[in-house]
Amino acid sequence: MIQLQKISRHYPVGFGKNYILKDIDLTINEGEFVSIMGPSGSGKSTLLHILGLLEEPSEGQYLFEGERVDKMNEKKRTQLHRGSIGFVFQAYHLIDELTVYENIETPLLYKNIPASERKSRVADVLDRFNMVAKKDLFPNQLSGGQQQLVGIARAIVGEPRVILADEPTGNLHSDQAKVIMQLFKHLNEQDKITIIQVTHSDLNATYGNRVIQIRDGHIHE
Amino acid sequence: MLKSYLKIAWRNLRKQKVFAAVNIIGMSTALCAALLLSLTAYREWTYDNFHENGKNIYQLISEEHTGSQLRTGSSMAKPLAVAIQKEVPGVKHTSFIAGNNTPVRYGANHYYLSTQLVDRDFLDMFTFPLIKGNKKEALSQLNQVVLTQQAATSLFKDAEPVGKTVELNLSGQWQPYIVSAVAADVPDNSGIEFQLLTRLENDPDFNTTRNDWGAANFPLFVELEPGVTPAAFEKNLNIIVKKYYKGKIEDLQKNGGAGAHGKDVFYISALGLKDFHLTEGSTFYSGLNSFYPWLMIILSGLIIAIAAINFINLSIARSFGRSGEIGLRKSLGAQDNQLMIQFWAEAFLLCCFALIVSLALTAFLMPYYNQAFGHRLALSVFRNVWVVSGVVIGFFIITLLAGGYPAWKVARLNILQVLKGKLGLGKSSGVRNGLIVVQFIVAVVLISCTCIIWQQLNFIQSAPLGYNTSQVISIPLDNATPSDISTMKQRLGEMAEVRSVSGSMLNLGLGNDGSSGNWTRGFTYKDRHVATKCVAVDYNYAQTLDLKIVAGRDFSREYGTDSNAIVINELMAKQLGEKDPVGLYFKMGDAFPVHVIGVVKDFHFESLHNKMEPLVMVINAPLNYIFVKVESPNAVASLKKITTLWKSINSLAESDPSFLDENAQRLYRQEQRFSKIFMSGAVLAVIISGMGLFAIAVLVMAHRKKEIGIRKVLGASVSGIVLLLSKDFLRLVVVAIVIATPAAWYFMRRWLQGFEYHTSIHWWVFALAGLIAVGIAFLTVSLQSVKAALANPVDSLNRD
Repeated sequence: MIQLQKISRHYPVGFGKNYILKDIDLTINEGEFVSIMGPSGSGKSTLLHILGLLEEPSEGQYLFEGERVDKMNEKKRTQLHRGSIGFVFQAYHLIDELTVYENIETPLLYKNIPASERKSRVADVLDRFNMVAKKDLFPNQLSGGQQQLVGIARAIVGEPRVILADEPTGNLHSDQAKVIMQLFKHLNEQDKITIIQVTHSDLNATYGNRVIQIRDGHIHE
Repeated sequence: MLKSYLKIAWRNLRKQKVFAAVNIIGMSTALCAALLLSLTAYREWTYDNFHENGKNIYQLISEEHTGSQLRTGSSMAKPLAVAIQKEVPGVKHTSFIAGNNTPVRYGANHYYLSTQLVDRDFLDMFTFPLIKGNKKEALSQLNQVVLTQQAATSLFKDAEPVGKTVELNLSGQWQPYIVSAVAADVPDNSGIEFQLLTRLENDPDFNTTRNDWGAANFPLFVELEPGVTPAAFEKNLNIIVKKYYKGKIEDLQKNGGAGAHGKDVFYISALGLKDFHLTEGSTFYSGLNSFYPWLMIILSGLIIAIAAINFINLSIARSFGRSGEIGLRKSLGAQDNQLMIQFWAEAFLLCCFALIVSLALTAFLMPYYNQAFGHRLALSVFRNVWVVSGVVIGFFIITLLAGGYPAWKVARLNILQVLKGKLGLGKSSGVRNGLIVVQFIVAVVLISCTCIIWQQLNFIQSAPLGYNTSQVISIPLDNATPSDISTMKQRLGEMAEVRSVSGSMLNLGLGNDGSSGNWTRGFTYKDRHVATKCVAVDYNYAQTLDLKIVAGRDFSREYGTDSNAIVINELMAKQLGEKDPVGLYFKMGDAFPVHVIGVVKDFHFESLHNKMEPLVMVINAPLNYIFVKVESPNAVASLKKITTLWKSINSLAESDPSFLDENAQRLYRQEQRFSKIFMSGAVLAVIISGMGLFAIAVLVMAHRKKEIGIRKVLGASVSGIVLLLSKDFLRLVVVAIVIATPAAWYFMRRWLQGFEYHTSIHWWVFALAGLIAVGIAFLTVSLQSVKAALANPVDSLNRD
């Protein structure tokens, strides 16, 4: 599903280059639950951003479902963001001015889905996450765990093929983290969504079925 | 989707009340001011636009090029009209228009009606529709009058006016006239005003001047056939001008007069109706400099620009606070243009609020505005399609500029940076600083211009005019009968406080009657062309006005020969080239032999816009004004007493007497009006700039809270921090002052050049303006920086 070939990412320092990622070759198959681990500054977040098309690689090729997507134009990239990739952030990134319901609805608005279908899909997701009672609350009225649930609900409402999660439990305490991780596992197993997470926690990594270690821009599997 | 945008916009506005308030208040006051100013300009520009044949109507203006001077005149000789109709092709109608106030009598009731003496073509030329009566017949007889609806109602109440006989006193005696028609009231944007129309032939001097090419009494108007250009008309007209004014042209040429700009030494040009209102020289000139409406547009543009800059700066600053949302939306698949539409929608919503508030404010303020600035605006202008579409288009442009730029800027942000929260309101941003500088340039320019305008007005008002302004009362006589006038003079002479009584054909300054005029004469003296202003005066003129007699004497009853005596001023003496002009006999034109009995020191008999000119005073014409010098401890009481006396003698008197200093000030009411508007605009601009700066300061301080906390922990003093925080802003203001000063200097120098007598521009004006700007900026910013500097660093550092 995802193929990285000789992917590098660097930025100029003086006369030379500082590599964050160097010659990464990586293949992720559909239905995998991958955990990317490594110390701070090892390049794992950069890797995730490249996977999510938020950042372009300096060198190498990126094939998403067999199609080259590094150097893709803005419009096509937007289409992938709308249809195939869902994001979950450490800081949740909910829109403070919108209610739970409206936050979850937002990606569907960008996909131009008709109102009736939007309604039923958001209702489904709310139901599934047991959040129907909270649908009219604003993010600041929720606990961190609940906010991240909304974040995940928003990520899956567009029915993506892959979810990219950047330390999804980083701001949560262990009980909440457990709930979130179980949810990911469930999504991976039941809904067959490919999940790639960046995490520091060995415990969280055990929910997945593959661990990628990054150190100094290189992969050690 | 749009619903979602508006929802977000609405919730955002409610959350960030300071910014919403600054934006809405700033925008709506700016829009309100701009609306009022533009409507004023619009009104001035659309004067006289209701005449259906307006684009074919012209006033004739004579131009005499004497040497280096151009002398224009608006009065034409009566036979010229006849000649034009006979000899100039393409002329449809001609009409003289001569206005005055005429006493009208119906039964036992007396009225003064504003009257225009016109020719038969008048109603065909100008669009003053008749409610009753027939346009073709209305002025076909000499003894017919046309009344306006309002005049007819006041004369006849509900009775049928057409066919009634009224009496008019045009020539000192009552004569019957028949009401032939009733016209709709004259629209308030008409330069030509009247309550009564009658034929020009009823003018008492008509028969003596009807064939006199040398006597130019009244302005002449022509309507050309459709399709005839004014240039073609002027060309044909000046062919006959050359024929009929041969003698005059030769005279002018003999004295060094020469044509200029392709025009002959004596030339008659055609001034279009649309230019009557704003062109000096037109009979219906409003006294308003044609630049002033533009100035109002510029001023409203500047005020809007300042508010829009606030809007842009605040929107950008605010949207950085929402970087998370922007990044997130991008990761959810929002395209740049969708984000742009979202942010523009927010700006639009805010501007809509501002527009609604400003419209309400405009409607509310309009009466006060009219009162304060002497305008006559009405809300009915909003029924005009052009005004409404202008407002709507202008509004869209403003929202596009004010909302579009921030939207564009925000939408282009790099998704990763915003998600990581790396993007913030940096210490400075080029665009923001540039815009703040622009705002303060405008503010400084307006402040210094205001100072200089104020100085000039002061200068004018306190400039010595060369005659006694503080003790002399001028009484407008409003066509009073000669017997009333002599009774008045006699009764005045009996009053204890009256020192001296005289009179004149022309007022000094502008009286309560609001009328003004001048009388120019040119003649040949010792083979040279001499041009001079003339005024007919009464005995004791110089004595009453405290004019300084340099040689000879004033007019006096003790000398029998004064009927053809003249008193001249020094400039006239100089023009004649005579060392000792007293006793000189010469002819002012044909059949006007005069002898000089005295020379007075030059005085400003006209406004300070004009240079002092040669003046000849004669003593034969009827008086329009009585001048009374009073000496009493209570001047106001004397004025009251004289007013009462005059009203008791002439019950029809309409205009109140006034002191000459008041009259002199009234000459500059356009300037005063203009400066009031300018000052209000300047104050508003400065306040809106200050508001914007305040809001930006709030944002910057909030952003630098952590930095301030760290600095304080490291030992920075409060004053050090205040300085650090204010410095950036003050630097911008200083840059603005440097740019603004030469601009303001240039504009003001040009404005002052419009005055023949003006104050000079002092450097300290700019220093003062700069100081005010710095002061305002410092005050605004330091309110915030002091607060930030005093905050406990623990609070700001603990939050992260």
